[in-house]
Amino acid sequence: MTISITDLTVRYGEKVVLDDISLDILHGKWTCLVGPNGAGKTTFLRALLGMAPYSGSIKDRGHEVFKNHKRNVAFVPQSPQIPQGMTVAEYVMLGRSKRDGWGNDSLLSREYVHKVLTQTHLFGMQTNLVSQLSGGEMQRALIARALAQEPELILLDEPTSALDLHHQISVLNNIELLKENGVTVISTMHDLTLAAMFAEEIVVIKNGKILLSGESNLVIHSSELRKAYDNRIDVYTLESGRPVVVAKKKGLI
Amino acid sequence: MSTEHGAISRIWNWRITAFCALILLAVAIMAVSFGPISINFFKVFKTLFDLPGGSTGQDRTVILELRLPRVILGALVGAALATSGAVYQTVFHNPLADPYLLGAASGAGLGATIALTSTHHDLHAALPIFAFGGGVLAVFTSFVISGKFFADPNSLLLSGIAVGSFATAIQTYLQQRHSAALRPVYSWILGDLTSATWSVVAWSSLYIAIALIILFTVAKQLDGLMLSDEEAYSLGINPKRLRIIAVAAATLATATAVSASGLIGFVGIVVPHLVRGLTHRVTNRSLISIAMAGAAFLVLADLGARTLLSPAELPIGVITAFVGAPFFLVVLRNRRKVTQ
Repeated sequence: MTISITDLTVRYGEKVVLDDISLDILHGKWTCLVGPNGAGKTTFLRALLGMAPYSGSIKDRGHEVFKNHKRNVAFVPQSPQIPQGMTVAEYVMLGRSKRDGWGNDSLLSREYVHKVLTQTHLFGMQTNLVSQLSGGEMQRALIARALAQEPELILLDEPTSALDLHHQISVLNNIELLKENGVTVISTMHDLTLAAMFAEEIVVIKNGKILLSGESNLVIHSSELRKAYDNRIDVYTLESGRPVVVAKKKGLI
Repeated sequence: MSTEHGAISRIWNWRITAFCALILLAVAIMAVSFGPISINFFKVFKTLFDLPGGSTGQDRTVILELRLPRVILGALVGAALATSGAVYQTVFHNPLADPYLLGAASGAGLGATIALTSTHHDLHAALPIFAFGGGVLAVFTSFVISGKFFADPNSLLLSGIAVGSFATAIQTYLQQRHSAALRPVYSWILGDLTSATWSVVAWSSLYIAIALIILFTVAKQLDGLMLSDEEAYSLGINPKRLRIIAVAAATLATATAVSASGLIGFVGIVVPHLVRGLTHRVTNRSLISIAMAGAAFLVLADLGARTLLSPAELPIGVITAFVGAPFFLVVLRNRRKVTQ
């Protein structure tokens, strides 16, 4: 099963943000979009969600996404609107709306929220206000809400930006939790090392076009990736075989 | 929030709604009983529900023709303002949003001033129509000026403020040119429920009921508007459409309330915060409770307005601010203590 994208173009006014993209994304895998800022990664996610008007076609399991409001797709934004005065429990409970109807405090839903709060190590904080969570806790609350949604597909925009290393790993592990439940994961990520470590497929986007896509290891070691970043990155391989990507500094070899 | 059998507790407890209903009923019966002529609670109860042993003669007229329509109008206006306030606060992500924000109040004020300063005295009776038209027109203008139909709630907010200032400027100009009308305009701006008759109750209850039914129907989905549009969409709502429905219904309720009773300030901010602060729940599932609390608050304020300086009357807006503001500050302070 795939999400088949053919000749996708998205414009904001005169500006072409995504330019004639064609790609197949496999269900059940973690696909990561990488590329410099302004490449069109977030717009790509919005189009996959069905929110950005596009020309061309995005078919998820055979149905055009822009017309299909029945899909259960979770979205984790880079900078969420933080609702003032809302508790963590209320926030995560919102994720149940598509499964269980809006504002339906069914026992099933309340048990499910209890479960995901425990999984994301937020249990005990359910009466805290989301506005008072730390960056890492907020990101976990967003993932908890996505888990509560029991989605078929989750879109994450820079889930690790603004987090320290420890929390980056903990959030990424939480995302893997989703994948274990059979959820398709599509994320954008700036950290190429982490992208190679967690995602199975990597898509490199620049100026609204796909430069390259494929299995993580192949993409990370390719010369096209270095070109996408204007040769300002170096890729090393650790003894364990894990690739590590670092930025070049002028004057250093 | 305690846990039961590995489940989190309910987000909204319907006992709170029932409690608000009881308070509203008690306040309403009290308000019908008190006044220059005091009537026994039980007699009032029996008269209202047409049970044997109710009042007769003059008392019956006072209850059914003077006080009851006034209490019902107060309840309707209070419910309309409190609910619209809560909805505006959610839609605009702004705890200080107020039902008068999009120019509804200034537009209605301008409409009322045009009616009151006109040389044709027939127009004075049409004041509610002018006020209603002015309020709706002002909000509609804000919508049109904000351009890209509702893409961004902040631009609507800003154009609402601009339209409001413009309407207020024209209103002030008219007032200065017709200084004889200064006093009625001023007293209208402070709000009053003295105009309450069964016919006013009839038309205002129709519009307010329509608006409130729409808002109560979408109340649960409104929680989604507290998030970004992408998140709301992924949770299954169309954020742009829901915003338009919510703001249109809230504006209908506000414009109706303003044209029936003038500008009664503070209800739309205080009551939603009171209910949310006391229950520690920000969800819009509290909307029905907020409506009933707003109704009780305004009926109580009106009781104060007509009894404190009896037989003279205080403008109700003075009472809502005088009582509401300190109470509001106390709740705000306690809420901060709990959440810190």
